[in-house]
Amino acid sequence: MTAIIEARGLTKRYGSTPVVRGVDLNVEAGRIVGLIGPNGAGKTTVIKSILGLTSFDGELKVLGLDPRTQRDDLMKEVCFIADVAVLPKWLKVSQAVDFVAGVHPRFDRKRAEDFLARTDIKKDSRVRQLSKGMVTQLHLALILAIDAKLLVLDEPTLGLDLLFRRSFYDNLLNDYFNKERTILVTTHQVEEIENILTDVLFIEHGKIVLDSPMESIAERFAQLVPSAGNVDRARALKPFWEREIFGRVAMLFDGHNQDELASLGEVRAPSVADLFVAMMQPVGTASPSKEAA
Amino acid sequence: MNNILWLIRREFWENRSLWIAPLAIAGVILVLTAFGGVHIGQNETFWFGTGASDLENMSAADREHVKNALSEVSDKGQMIYAFTMAMLTFVQLFALTFVIFFYLLDSLLAERKDRSILFWKSLPVSDAEVVASKLLTAVVAAPIFVLLLSAVVQVLFRLIVWARFGGSIVGDVMPLFDAAVWLQVQVAAWAMTFTTIVWYLPLAGYLMLVSVWARRNAFLWAILPPVALLIIEAMLAQSHKFADFLGRRFGGHLDLMDFARFEGSNDMPGLGELLSHISRVFQSYETWVGVAVAAAFIMVTIRIRRMRDDS
Repeated sequence: MTAIIEARGLTKRYGSTPVVRGVDLNVEAGRIVGLIGPNGAGKTTVIKSILGLTSFDGELKVLGLDPRTQRDDLMKEVCFIADVAVLPKWLKVSQAVDFVAGVHPRFDRKRAEDFLARTDIKKDSRVRQLSKGMVTQLHLALILAIDAKLLVLDEPTLGLDLLFRRSFYDNLLNDYFNKERTILVTTHQVEEIENILTDVLFIEHGKIVLDSPMESIAERFAQLVPSAGNVDRARALKPFWEREIFGRVAMLFDGHNQDELASLGEVRAPSVADLFVAMMQPVGTASPSKEAA
Repeated sequence: MNNILWLIRREFWENRSLWIAPLAIAGVILVLTAFGGVHIGQNETFWFGTGASDLENMSAADREHVKNALSEVSDKGQMIYAFTMAMLTFVQLFALTFVIFFYLLDSLLAERKDRSILFWKSLPVSDAEVVASKLLTAVVAAPIFVLLLSAVVQVLFRLIVWARFGGSIVGDVMPLFDAAVWLQVQVAAWAMTFTTIVWYLPLAGYLMLVSVWARRNAFLWAILPPVALLIIEAMLAQSHKFADFLGRRFGGHLDLMDFARFEGSNDMPGLGELLSHISRVFQSYETWVGVAVAAAFIMVTIRIRRMRDDS
């Protein structure tokens, strides 16, 4: 398998403040990777480094190219939605399609037009006349019609309602994703994308704290809800996180023998969202006011 | 090249003033020609609807005045024709310079203000292509549009004047259409326009540099530094070298062309002679220093757009 993104010691400072501290990454073709972290963890800086939108230190190769010096070549193979609502207000829908068709050799015009035909977007509307959801649909229609090796999405559904968010990811999976393509996505709505991810990366304070394929998560981590008398015994096994809800305690274990845990109560694989919250708030630091996800 | 053409088209989509303003000015010129008053003689003004016969009915004193004036130029119909056509083009190009000034100041700021730069940067167009397309829009595409438009306006202008005053002493002083002179006016206008643009390239580069650098108020950032320099020099050194320099950068090409020697001459200068005067600009090192400075401004502009990270 060829590495689509390969980073060694990726570091970025703004002034003297490091925001990314030595990130190592290895993303292979055909994966859907979720880069998940609290606000200010360095997600967007990592993404901007990969897209050649910012300077950085360390080694980083995207599709074998250095985003600092070979950005023009890189953009032929990579496309991205770096933020919602960045389509200019004056642009007409038909102009957007014409322009991308004009400058992008890998753009499939018919595909974009078919996608738009399934929406309520009119060809002669300007972006300023469209709702936020429609602007995102238009952007998605343009991006999905580009045959790119790597698609990078930074909070692509921020501020959209649930229906748009759901159909956004459905479209992404059904119309776009295949074995040759790779998607890197960041989002706050972890629970909505965890079913489509093949890999997760957790980032906190500029460092990768978890880098795992989805299938390994269930092997490595377990969530235990101990039966009534077993709470103290379970706690003795040193869960790395626990919380109490409606009088029942849920604990998360890392790399523990799952049979042993099963004898103490109900065991299941934790959701990515639970795991995220747990890893960002280890035992003792949990407090409802700390922002997470 | 293909990308550049699409990018230039994109500029005209976004900046509709680039083509709407010249069309509006052309419209104003033609409406004034058709409906405006024409002051003839010493105290009579003729408005639209005035026919050739009314001209003949003007007061005796005025008729005498007009006839005297016309008899002096009766053999210079071609020259008056050429001069009128050239003036029409000049008015339209002069108006365009204001549009271009504000276009360039906004050219690399607007995309950051509305964050659409993140969309443009997601497409396979390089920063050099984007900056080049904006410069070419300002110094090639928009001027060509206005030159072509003004060639049409000239013909329409003459037709309207003919419709209003044809058959009279006033209406017939110049030819209805003189293809040879009209073509020579176009050649001279294109040569003059693009020579002037080459002379003004450093200014265009400066405006783009301000546009890519400023976070807001590009107009103030463009104007304040030179004004501050003028004031500081005047206060500290009581001299005006920088003012002289600016004056040379704005009007130096006209000095180089040295049209002064045509003044007082009663003959229309030939096209060849005009072009040879215009081409003197390219024999001056000042022009090429300006081009080099413009190139440096543009390279820095491309570099800033490439490296800037304020999204």
